[in-house]
Amino acid sequence: MSLLEVTDASVRFGGLTAVDGLGFSVEAGEIVGLIGPNGAGKTTTFNMLVGLARAAEGTIRLDGRPLAGLRPHSIAALGMTKTFQNVSLFMESSVLDNVVTGALLREPLAEAKASARRVLERVGLAGVAERPAADLSFPERARVEIARGLATRPKILLLDEVMAALTPAEMEGIVALVRQLRDEGITFVLIEHHMRAVMTLSDRILVLSFGRKIAEGRPEEVARDPKVIEAYLGREWAAEGAGPGQARP
Amino acid sequence: MSALSLPKRCSALARPRALLLAALAAAAAIVPLFLDPQGYWVRVLTLTLIFAALGQAWNIVGGLANQISLGHAAYFGVGAYASTILLINFGLSPWIGLFVGMALAVVVALVLSVPTFRLKGHYFALATLAAGEALRVIANSWQGVTGGPVGLSVPFMPDSFWMMSYGAPRPFYWIALAALVLVTLVFWWIKSSALGYRLRAVKENEQAAEVVGVNTFRAKLWASLVSAAATAAIGVVYVQFTYFFDPDAVFGVATVSVRLALVAIVGGIGTVIGPVVGALVVVPLEELVNAALQGQVAGLSAFVYGAILIAVILVEPRGLVALFGRLRRGLGRRPGGAGEAGR
Repeated sequence: MSLLEVTDASVRFGGLTAVDGLGFSVEAGEIVGLIGPNGAGKTTTFNMLVGLARAAEGTIRLDGRPLAGLRPHSIAALGMTKTFQNVSLFMESSVLDNVVTGALLREPLAEAKASARRVLERVGLAGVAERPAADLSFPERARVEIARGLATRPKILLLDEVMAALTPAEMEGIVALVRQLRDEGITFVLIEHHMRAVMTLSDRILVLSFGRKIAEGRPEEVARDPKVIEAYLGREWAAEGAGPGQARP
Repeated sequence: MSALSLPKRCSALARPRALLLAALAAAAAIVPLFLDPQGYWVRVLTLTLIFAALGQAWNIVGGLANQISLGHAAYFGVGAYASTILLINFGLSPWIGLFVGMALAVVVALVLSVPTFRLKGHYFALATLAAGEALRVIANSWQGVTGGPVGLSVPFMPDSFWMMSYGAPRPFYWIALAALVLVTLVFWWIKSSALGYRLRAVKENEQAAEVVGVNTFRAKLWASLVSAAATAAIGVVYVQFTYFFDPDAVFGVATVSVRLALVAIVGGIGTVIGPVVGALVVVPLEELVNAALQGQVAGLSAFVYGAILIAVILVEPRGLVALFGRLRRGLGRRPGGAGEAGR
């Protein structure tokens, strides 16, 4: 049984079908990349998984348990949470308090504070624990998002563009962190526009376009798939010749 | 007295502040000894303390979770009517009526929370406002129980603590002060507890709070229930103090709902000392303006009072506590350069 199983799932906003008959599964311990052009429904897919957007059709199962009708906090309790693309920290609270809020899902306050400090140590933010989240730089905020998610002790963590606006060195740091965490048993699905990062990090890649899955496979397979090149990678690859592209222009 | 009983989880930084608040409470306790026990000022200050306590009760849900309720009169009036009806019909002590009122207010809060918590911002405020008004209409029309628009008088009794009955206002000053200290301790305790973290998360980003595992509905519900119970209890003290009330006096929008929210907002929403500062400005200011402009054009005093409050909010939307902080930092910077004092 897969850790996460999505079957024929659709999300509609009025007349718009943002996710259209989507099906995929994620095995425990995998790192899966979710890519596609802007507006392909990637973030909506994440929102559907964590319960922020309602799937009008289809089923989503986590560890075999259907998630239909569950609110996001219950899904977090079952072991799935996400980071936010447009960084949704508790801006007036300290970095530590942001992470403590996540840790409170599993433990009482005193223990949650201790775990939160360990998590911050882990992601390299121990030095800014007492600062208000609003004071941090954008890359630091992305790390706080990851830390807050980790503090909930997820089985599967969905990362929505945590590497946007990072320098190559910072990106290396996140890639290494995700690999370590995977080795410790956390499963990842990540939306990322930075091709090199997503191609090197992912075991498997799903490609969305207009809410549908158009390709799925190992990074090098997906990169060769004509449908993918047409829908998404086309221009970028044509311009750069071989190998996955650099950052977006 | 209060500082010693605070939970250990209060940080070292909070301790001097706790001592300061305890000293303030002690100072406030001896103030009426220097005032005429029957006099005007004891009465005004008692009302000030009652509204400070109400503002603090409102602050639990309005300040910590940013759920701007304009319907707290619902709980206030339920407490007032419950205890007075039990006192008139069964001779029950208002101290017992107080617990009955709190229980009823919790039920009312439960009933109101389910439909209103889905609403955000102004819509939540309007829905709570309507709920308070609905109870005022019920109190006006259910004459057999509430006395209708005529109102209820608390029966006259000799001075007695057990019956919460005193001819002079001074004992009510102390009861109101005790209520304020108690509600402030509850506010402080919630603010520094796990529930406080969850409420802050709700306040700052409700969606993100849910996704990282906060049951936002339950957090808001707990805050509302505590806030409602405290408001009802203070409603009992209020009507024992004023002897007489009608539906407009305890279920009114301007007289209760807006005024107690205003106390917290003018003082500093979500802060421990905010409602105290707010009440010290809002209640005496209203009295002073009324006294100064008595006999002038009708409505002038309300106009001036409103204009002053609007000015405060325009100058510093986060309230007077934030304004003082700004002034202090502004003054401290000039001579020394340093002198930055945290919130």
